[in-house]
Amino acid sequence: MLDWIWILLTAAWLLPLLGFAVEVFGGYWQQSRRDRTPALIAVACIGAGFVLSVAAFIIWGSETHWGVFAAEPEHGDVPAQQAVEDTTREAAAEDASELQPADAGQQHSYRKAISGTIYTLARFGDLKLSIDYYVDSLTLVMFMMVTLIATCIHIFALGYMSDELTDEYVDHQAHTAGGDHVHRPGRYYLFFSYMSLFCFSMLGLVLAGNIFQVFIFWELVGICSYLLIGFYVERHSASTAANKAFIMNRVGDFGFLIGLMVIWTYFGTFSLGPETIGDETRPGIFAMVRNAEGGLDIRNESGSPVVHLNGSVAEADDAGAADGEAAVTAERTIPYWLLVVAGLGVFAGCIGKSAQFPLQTWLPDAMEGPTPVSALVHSATMVAAGVYLAGRFYPVFTPDVLLVMSYVGCITLFLAATIAVVATDIKRVLAYSTISQLGYMMLGIGVAGWAAGLFHLITHAFFKSLMFLCSGSVIIGCHHEQEMPRMGGLRRKMPITAYTMLVGVIAISGLAIPFTILGMKLAFSGYHSKDAIVATALAFNYKNPVHFLLFLVPLVTAGITAFYMFRLWFYTFCGEPRDRHIYDHAHESPRVMTLPLIVLAVFAAGVAVGGEGGPLYRMLLASEPAGVDVGSEAIDPTVAFIPEDVGYALVGQPARAEIHSVHAQAGAFALIAAAAGAVLAFLLYVVRVVDPGEIKRQVGGLYRFLIEKWHFDTLYDVAFVRPVHRVAAALAWFDRVVIDGILHWFANTSVRIASWDRKVDEGLVDGLVNLVGNVTFRVGRSLRAVQTGQLRQYIMFIALGVLSLFVLQFIFFPR
Amino acid sequence: MQIGLSEYLIVGAVLFVAGVVCMATKRNGIGVLMGVELVLNGANVNFVAFARYTPLGLDGQIISLFVIVLAAAEAAVALAIALNFYNNHMTIDVDRGDQLKG
Amino acid sequence: MALLLSAIIFAPTIGAILLLFFDRKAIEPMRYTALAVTVVTFLLSLGLLVPFDTAMPDIQPNGEGGIQAGIVVEWIPDWEIFYRLGYDGISLPLILLTSFISLLAMLASWNITKQVRGYLILFLLLETGMLGVFLALDFFLFYVFWEVMLLPMYFLIGIWGGPRKEYAAIKFFLYTLAGSILMLIAMLMFYFGSASYTPGGHPTFNLLQLGEIAREGGFDPGMQLAAFILLFIGFAIKIPTFPFHTWLPDAHVEAPTPISMILAGVLLKMGGYGIIRIAFPLCPHGAYVAAWALVAIGAFSIIYGAFAAMAQTDFKRLVAYSSVSHMGYVLVGIAVWQIHELGGTDYWQMGMMGAMFQMIAHGISSAGMFFMVGVVYDRVHHRDLNRFGGLAGLMPLYSGLAAGIFFAGLGLPGLCGFIGEVFVVLSAWNYSPALAIVAAGGVILTAGYILWTLQRVYLGAEYKGPHPEALTPMVGREIFVAGVLLVFAIVLGVFPFLMFDLMDASTAQLVQSLEQGYQAAEAKAADVAAVLKERLLR
Repeated sequence: MLDWIWILLTAAWLLPLLGFAVEVFGGYWQQSRRDRTPALIAVACIGAGFVLSVAAFIIWGSETHWGVFAAEPEHGDVPAQQAVEDTTREAAAEDASELQPADAGQQHSYRKAISGTIYTLARFGDLKLSIDYYVDSLTLVMFMMVTLIATCIHIFALGYMSDELTDEYVDHQAHTAGGDHVHRPGRYYLFFSYMSLFCFSMLGLVLAGNIFQVFIFWELVGICSYLLIGFYVERHSASTAANKAFIMNRVGDFGFLIGLMVIWTYFGTFSLGPETIGDETRPGIFAMVRNAEGGLDIRNESGSPVVHLNGSVAEADDAGAADGEAAVTAERTIPYWLLVVAGLGVFAGCIGKSAQFPLQTWLPDAMEGPTPVSALVHSATMVAAGVYLAGRFYPVFTPDVLLVMSYVGCITLFLAATIAVVATDIKRVLAYSTISQLGYMMLGIGVAGWAAGLFHLITHAFFKSLMFLCSGSVIIGCHHEQEMPRMGGLRRKMPITAYTMLVGVIAISGLAIPFTILGMKLAFSGYHSKDAIVATALAFNYKNPVHFLLFLVPLVTAGITAFYMFRLWFYTFCGEPRDRHIYDHAHESPRVMTLPLIVLAVFAAGVAVGGEGGPLYRMLLASEPAGVDVGSEAIDPTVAFIPEDVGYALVGQPARAEIHSVHAQAGAFALIAAAAGAVLAFLLYVVRVVDPGEIKRQVGGLYRFLIEKWHFDTLYDVAFVRPVHRVAAALAWFDRVVIDGILHWFANTSVRIASWDRKVDEGLVDGLVNLVGNVTFRVGRSLRAVQTGQLRQYIMFIALGVLSLFVLQFIFFPR
Repeated sequence: MQIGLSEYLIVGAVLFVAGVVCMATKRNGIGVLMGVELVLNGANVNFVAFARYTPLGLDGQIISLFVIVLAAAEAAVALAIALNFYNNHMTIDVDRGDQLKG
Repeated sequence: MALLLSAIIFAPTIGAILLLFFDRKAIEPMRYTALAVTVVTFLLSLGLLVPFDTAMPDIQPNGEGGIQAGIVVEWIPDWEIFYRLGYDGISLPLILLTSFISLLAMLASWNITKQVRGYLILFLLLETGMLGVFLALDFFLFYVFWEVMLLPMYFLIGIWGGPRKEYAAIKFFLYTLAGSILMLIAMLMFYFGSASYTPGGHPTFNLLQLGEIAREGGFDPGMQLAAFILLFIGFAIKIPTFPFHTWLPDAHVEAPTPISMILAGVLLKMGGYGIIRIAFPLCPHGAYVAAWALVAIGAFSIIYGAFAAMAQTDFKRLVAYSSVSHMGYVLVGIAVWQIHELGGTDYWQMGMMGAMFQMIAHGISSAGMFFMVGVVYDRVHHRDLNRFGGLAGLMPLYSGLAAGIFFAGLGLPGLCGFIGEVFVVLSAWNYSPALAIVAAGGVILTAGYILWTLQRVYLGAEYKGPHPEALTPMVGREIFVAGVLLVFAIVLGVFPFLMFDLMDASTAQLVQSLEQGYQAAEAKAADVAAVLKERLLR
């Protein structure tokens, strides 16, 4: 029965791929561009994916007797022997997917991951690369979240993209050299085929059973993002933004690749779960790097810390065998600093994908894509994949890496929030808020709030996709106007959009009524998740007072978040319309677009129902790596072992009990900050106690600094883009001038040598030959005079000759 | 006076020299031929004389007979050449026959 | 079986002879005949798969190690030269690639209108030479085929090329000839050096036998290093790597489209193949000593080629430099020879197979890229990157296929380029982390220049160059060529084991025997040193 889980999920994963193939070819060869069929296929595929995911979830739940929801989890007392995966099981990959009806650990079987291989890409001796699956409760949650949101967004896009349903689409934002608008056939089918391809890639990323596979789909979602950002290929800004997104992601992926290289070299596997090679089963990465309690096995060897990897007995290579020694077995080890490199490398990939500092600049530009894309790819799913990976790969991250992660998240969330305050493009505000919220998630995971970070990932996905779709609805309603200063008062024209948006705004701000009714807080999802992160940060702060910024900055930013989100809402929906023309033509969107808004609003409000006792949080908690909940107890061996003078950071991770103890306190702080932000926005933009324009003038320098996005684009342009082009030009010059120059020099020299050779040949060698000929000729000519033809003379010669011979004989040889 | 080899040789030499001088001085082709005959006969005298006074046997006589035969043949050829020469040049002055000079 | 091998090599030659009997004017019949010949050759080469045993790695006692089917016929017995053919998992994929790319290039040759008969004959002779190189197992025969392939190429570039065709053709010819002279020297070194190791005392050109000698520690280290350097330079020119690469951009730019396809798709692979088949097995010790330099050259070529590509404005030149960059991975993968580490051979084998896969992948993607450039060049007769744009709107199918093929070159997962590059890079850390990082840095630059190119050529509001009216949709023949290449790029990218299964046993055995060869040579050298020391002490 458990096999069905991965079979269903694999089906849910592959359906969109099938859809993509059908849509892209069918759409291209279709006669008319007015057919909705490709879009309906896309919706059907992803909708079926959602159904399959839910089915898989139900099977999983019933197989584990709904253990995940059964017992009230007591903070801090989860048995330590629960490992994410049971490394002691000696089952083969197929069996690995079957949970044994456990006797003692039955109520915890929901904590086990189901893993196995779908097919093998390649094998090299003891190394294997394959397409695997790895299913635990996190996978299931992600699957349901992605498919549900994607389904809603696909349905929304049916309406949003419907002006592409034409044979002659006029793109008002793309101009030819003559200044005309670009006319082109509609690309409705293409949009949906890209969306399907994206869904396939994203689900593959979630399902991936090894880190290499994650990398594969990491790149694939990247290229889908590229295609979707650059969907309006005629617009130069769109294609530039697409390039920027992909290339900046590749910068992160460069780090990812380095991390992969280290892992591959030292672990000899990429598999998250146990891996079967031949008839031997080996533990996956997590089981190798962490013991059952979640601790690292660090030993000091020759002065530097080395991490021993569990359960990995690698045979000595042939070199040893050739020397006639018995096969030596040695445990795999990895120097501690390389483990840090591996963690930082993988995290670099997360930075790129999740648009964290310093690679954050691509995401705002990515808003060039159609709004459903921004909702699905650039807020809810793909950019969250970085956080997902950070969570998934948590066991490999050492405390140093986690600290880096926290600070990166901390910087990002503040930086993006400040820019969001001054942005006026409705989608850009949301984009910066996405970056900021992703920063929160990174921070949450970094300060050991594993479940808190991922909790926020899920809730954020719902309310942010909701808000993006609302903004899409506004943009359509206002006929492609995105500037908030030209909106206002739209609440009256488009009530559904306005109030669903308000749900999202409240959710992201983390506002709540601080009372409990029927044992539950009256709060939208964002409150719970942000609360969890802030609480973890506070607990972390108590444990490591040095890192007080990690609590303070998110707290302040919570206020800023509430401020700019309410600013957005007030700006757009309240007050008097600032542009009469737009206002008069504004209209509420058709039902196909508002229905997804309502569905998402329900989820945005209620997905985190019950907070940390609720089903979502418990589902996430079930996948939490061992050792997180006991805090630094698990990490302590690490910290204790590394001598301080080595220079590694001494970081204590808070245990869940400690977090729980400060929860109420943190919640209060966060709520006050959020409320303050919201009230400030209300005062400024509704009551207008002070004119915001006045403030803008007062702090002009700061304003320009923020409008220029902290000058990151300029900086990167000067620091990287231009130097790269210059180096490229220099190398091309080098090739053309120096290398070819040398070559031509050789060629010319050869020609010159040849001409000298010719001279020698013609002068000396030929000269000698000719000399011989000439001399002979001249002698012959001079002897010619003797040949007179006078017979008598000849006779005289003969006679005289004979006579002289005789005379000579007598002179020289006298007898 | 005892007639010995030397005397014969002297006669042969006189004949030879007379022949050579004749060849060298005569411009008439026939004269030159006659000089040739004298030279050959001078040689014949020597052959016969050596045959007689040395133990060579009959070799000398035989060779001189050959020479006589050859002289006859040569005379025939040479006279034919002379006739042709005359036909071509209307003279038998050998000094006029210098077409093959270098 | 033996007949099949000869048939594969000489089927194109027979076709070329057949073409001589055609009327000069009968252009279409000649084209179809030539196409049929390439199809037949391709089918024959597919026939090699039938008896191929993927699990046959063992070295057989007669020295026919891992070679699946062979043919040995005396050729010049006085000098121990044999007509010796055979194939294994290393050459089989390349043979298939050659006949496959030749077939597609022939389909792309329909636009050649000048002296069609001569073109087709030279094309087929070229195919004979290429197939011969991959099938020959006698060093001398290999050398002969190597030269046979050179001459048709010279004429194909020099007669049917672009404006600077003479320059390009001569540059190509001289470069390659210089390489083959070095190879000739090395060949003779082995020929005369082998006499003292063979049973009968005869010198030999037999590559397998020479490899066997090297495996048992024959040829002394000094000679191995010298020969390796000679062979390496000879093959590096063909690959080509920095600094022997400048013939490539010129040759590509001037060559007609199908010849560019062949050049990039097949000819460059001969360099890599030569290193794997000849340079490494014959001088394992020399190769081990030089390995670091090889990896460094390869890594540098990756970066250098990518940078140079980024600066080009000629579309074809850009693709040519991308070849330099991509072939750098081949060199890196071949040479990541780390044997003393834990499980080091597995990583090396991975690098070797990654390199071989990269050769196949590059054969497909670069041939595709050149074809795509050719399609648009045939229409508008210019290749200036800054005067394109908007092709996506004008020729959507062409742009879609081109984007797919360029993504394959970019190394996008799911397409063939990814597997080769990533496997090579992953295996490289075990050899040298620094060089691995340099090689991995290529991914950013590659993305940069390819995406920038796509933006300039395919995206944008409108076409900026001359003859916009000529930008007609692709015809069926072009769709077929591009589509087939893209399909293969996808199939190999998703199911790389299709190729790896063919290579696995042969590379495993190669890696093993190279190690043995190195260790044997090392042991012998140590013995010699010990003896010398003893004598000196006495």
